[in-house]
Amino acid sequence: MNERRRLWFVNWPLVAVGAALLVMGCLMVQSATSGMKGGSGLYARQLLGIAIGMVPLVVAWGFDYRKLEGWVGPLVVLDALLIISPRLPGIGARVNGAASWLAVGGFRLFQPSEPAKLVTIVAIAAIIASYKGVIDKPRDVARILSIIAIPLVLILAQPDLGTGMVFLAISAGMLLIGGLSPRWFIILGLSGALLVVTVFGLNEVLNKTLQRGPYNPAYVAAVKAAKGDTSASTVQSIADTSVLVKQYQMNRLLVFVDASRDPKGAGYNLEQSKIAIGSGQLTGAGLRSGTQSNLRFLPEQHTDFIFSVTGEELGFLGGVLLLGLYLVLLVVSLEISAQSRDLFGSLIVAGIMSMWTFQILENMGMTMGLMPITGIPLPFMSFGSSFMVTNLMAMGMVLSVWTRRRGVPGY
Amino acid sequence: MLCVLGVLLAKLWSMQVLHGEDYAKAAVANRVSSYTVSAPRGRILDRKGRLLVANKSTMAVYVDPAFSYVTSSGKRVKNSGLFERLATVLGMPETDVEKKAFSVKEQALAPRMVAISASEQAVAYISEHPDLFKGVDVRPEPIRRYPKGTLAAHVLGYTGEVSEDQIAASGPNGYKYGDIVGKAGAEEEFEKVLQGDRGERVVEIDAQGRPQRVLSNTEPTPGHDVVLTIDSKVQAVTEHALAQALDDAHKAKFSNAHAGAAVAIDVHTGDVIAMASVPAYDPSMFLNGMTDKQWASLTATASNDPLTNRAISGLYPSASTFKAMTGLGALQNHLITPNTTVDCVGRWTEMGKPWAKWCWNHAGHGIEDFHTAVRDSCDSYFYHVGYLFYKDGGEKLQKYARRFGFGEHSGLDLPGELSGRVPDAAWKLSYFQNYPELQKWQPGDEVNLAIGQGDLLVTPLQLADAYAGIANGGKVMTPHIMERVLAPDGKTVLSYKPKVAFDSKTSASNLATMKSALVAVTQQGGTGYGAFAGFPVKVAGKTGTAQVAGKDDYAWFVGFAPADKPKYAVAVLVEQGGHGGSIAGPAARQIFGALLGEKITHVSATDTSR
Repeated sequence: MNERRRLWFVNWPLVAVGAALLVMGCLMVQSATSGMKGGSGLYARQLLGIAIGMVPLVVAWGFDYRKLEGWVGPLVVLDALLIISPRLPGIGARVNGAASWLAVGGFRLFQPSEPAKLVTIVAIAAIIASYKGVIDKPRDVARILSIIAIPLVLILAQPDLGTGMVFLAISAGMLLIGGLSPRWFIILGLSGALLVVTVFGLNEVLNKTLQRGPYNPAYVAAVKAAKGDTSASTVQSIADTSVLVKQYQMNRLLVFVDASRDPKGAGYNLEQSKIAIGSGQLTGAGLRSGTQSNLRFLPEQHTDFIFSVTGEELGFLGGVLLLGLYLVLLVVSLEISAQSRDLFGSLIVAGIMSMWTFQILENMGMTMGLMPITGIPLPFMSFGSSFMVTNLMAMGMVLSVWTRRRGVPGY
Repeated sequence: MLCVLGVLLAKLWSMQVLHGEDYAKAAVANRVSSYTVSAPRGRILDRKGRLLVANKSTMAVYVDPAFSYVTSSGKRVKNSGLFERLATVLGMPETDVEKKAFSVKEQALAPRMVAISASEQAVAYISEHPDLFKGVDVRPEPIRRYPKGTLAAHVLGYTGEVSEDQIAASGPNGYKYGDIVGKAGAEEEFEKVLQGDRGERVVEIDAQGRPQRVLSNTEPTPGHDVVLTIDSKVQAVTEHALAQALDDAHKAKFSNAHAGAAVAIDVHTGDVIAMASVPAYDPSMFLNGMTDKQWASLTATASNDPLTNRAISGLYPSASTFKAMTGLGALQNHLITPNTTVDCVGRWTEMGKPWAKWCWNHAGHGIEDFHTAVRDSCDSYFYHVGYLFYKDGGEKLQKYARRFGFGEHSGLDLPGELSGRVPDAAWKLSYFQNYPELQKWQPGDEVNLAIGQGDLLVTPLQLADAYAGIANGGKVMTPHIMERVLAPDGKTVLSYKPKVAFDSKTSASNLATMKSALVAVTQQGGTGYGAFAGFPVKVAGKTGTAQVAGKDDYAWFVGFAPADKPKYAVAVLVEQGGHGGSIAGPAARQIFGALLGEKITHVSATDTSR
């Protein structure tokens, strides 16, 4: 009893499942990078990322989250700054054509869109909490949505569709816990769908009238010159002048509908990922024995497609183990959310849960062909320090809510 | 939340447990690739074990198809930079390099050969600049080597890429695109033994198609060596003698003499010791893909068909050399005896004045018996004999000629042999079916046949065979070019056993009568004396001077030696070379010299006979 009392602030199931996930993730990253040039360096960086992540975890844990409740304005400003920071001269860096890194003197520090997710969660939690669990008036809804819209629009403008979808999922989860009435969910869902249709339709109309993208006369000529091969590089670069929806995004969506459209292009990644997972069968090929990953048939195997390696090398049993760990993580988080001293804490945990859930669904789903391919990594598993540190910090925030839960004296 | 995890679990179950095996198969198909390794062709040796056709290791330049494309800003594009560099280094047009690099004739992952026999500088440059030539492999590739140049080109033949028909005919485990096969001569005839068994290499490849490790490796089995009956020294003399015969003909004002053939065979075994045909070609021209100009030079009319082996594919009237068959046939059929005489007055009128025929010696030979008629090649005597055959009926001369192999394939183990023609009534009937007035077999046809003119067509090999038959107790052995087949380890796996091809069923006494007459041909007073005067070994033979409409006379000599204990038979033909005794005879003398180990001398002789 004394023992338990002394460590009352530790949620053992959460810590245990987090540790288990980290161990499993390390094993998989190690296996996935073992055959690569500089693979051990990548593995070391992953371990370093975990070590660094322990600092924000402990800080967030010890920090009383409630102090942030009244800081909606500064939080939104910080959020916006984080999101646009890679575009600022001097500190931003472009990687693979997208401005998504902060760098000093050419040395890449981290991707600010990762911590921005947490800032977004706290900011939205703060604004929703102020309505005490009843959100029904159009004015209140409008106010909340306008706050949500700021980071969402900024991240979509990057353009980072994947992170934008994470923001949407976070918002939806928190609105649900925060007491948004069901009719608003229906209204918002429908208008969201309408918006998507409008964007695609507008894209088509604008392309047509401005003669951009596939309506560019140069595109038509280039396709003809390439003898109908729409994957030729000159053709693609002209197609990417499309106004709203980039051609590669369009292609990913089309491939998601029918992977055989482009077996060597965007569909190739999906096909190889499915082969990797499927070939794992019940027990898997064993660590470092997956041919799909060792022979590099898998794309981005240590980052976005880490689950493909897991499926191939650990099989169905490994997959069930991983899903089981995530189940425990989410159920324990839900329990912590329910036991929060206040709505603000519940909402923070709910936002983090939503983030994790969506990322698990999107990442594992895309490797199996259930979701379109986006650059969303798998929490605690994928290689990537910014992502790892952010998730560890999220873990610290959940623990912070747990430590200050209802019925615990002294808070 | 539960719903999300449940969906993922269900999908995982479906993929890994329900359809896992299909995906596992797809994974294997992804990573396993096999390609074949061609086997070195067997070598061809002469009877003394000297190399006639061997292999040499040249450097071939291959491009791995995985590097034929590059990824440029996320798209797969042709690796033009690489092809440009290769074209420059190899000195070939870029389009040719690309054509070969993108050849669809190979297995998908097999490296494409873009150049063979690459120069040393090119190989050195490529090896020293691995960064510029990623995906380019330079490795030794055996190709045919001809240590003796053009020697015996027609016997050896040449190699080339397998044809679509051959691939189709060879079945699923047979040839594949790009295989090198024999296209003519011994290369074609012995293709099955020369061709080895290709090896197969099964490799694990990565996503770029680059081999990672060898999963299984079946080494290629080299083809078997073929030992020919050819003696390359005699062959060289034979070819040289033919060339000199053409020279002699030119000097004798026969300026149209451009072609000829010669054969030397062992009369007891049928071994072909030498077989030459001029003009010849260089078999190495076929190795690296021929230019249009080279091909034109081989096929132009002015080139006189250098690809044709005239010793077996050339058809000629045999002229007086056939008188040996006529004479022996008449003796054998009791139409004449050695003592039968004819009074040659230069013009033979036995069938009546309208059908009078000239003897080549318009002055007349006077009274000729069998012996002197053969020696002098007296036409009048053999006109008479031919007329006797006609009156006797039953086409006995034709039947007898066929028993020496005329009008038939000899059975030689080389492709492209023609069977020639022994004209008879049935042939004439069908040959002139649109000209009824010409269909009937006339006495004149028989008389012309008796002196080897008219419609008789023979190959030089057939004539050599027939005379070998006279030398070999009337039995013609099957001529053959293959003596032994050796396994790659040098063990003999097949030896040729001599067999009789034709039996003329001629009595020993008649053969002796003929032999002594043929010996007289090369002795003082004979038509072949000029060619063989002073030759230390007695030669039995016959000259021939064939008349061909619109052409200069064709010169023949055919005979065997030593006359007392025959060993070799030789036939020499020079197209439009003039007289047999003066043009073909001296060449035959040199060939006999080489065969019998005698001094090889080039003599000039004068002969005006037919």
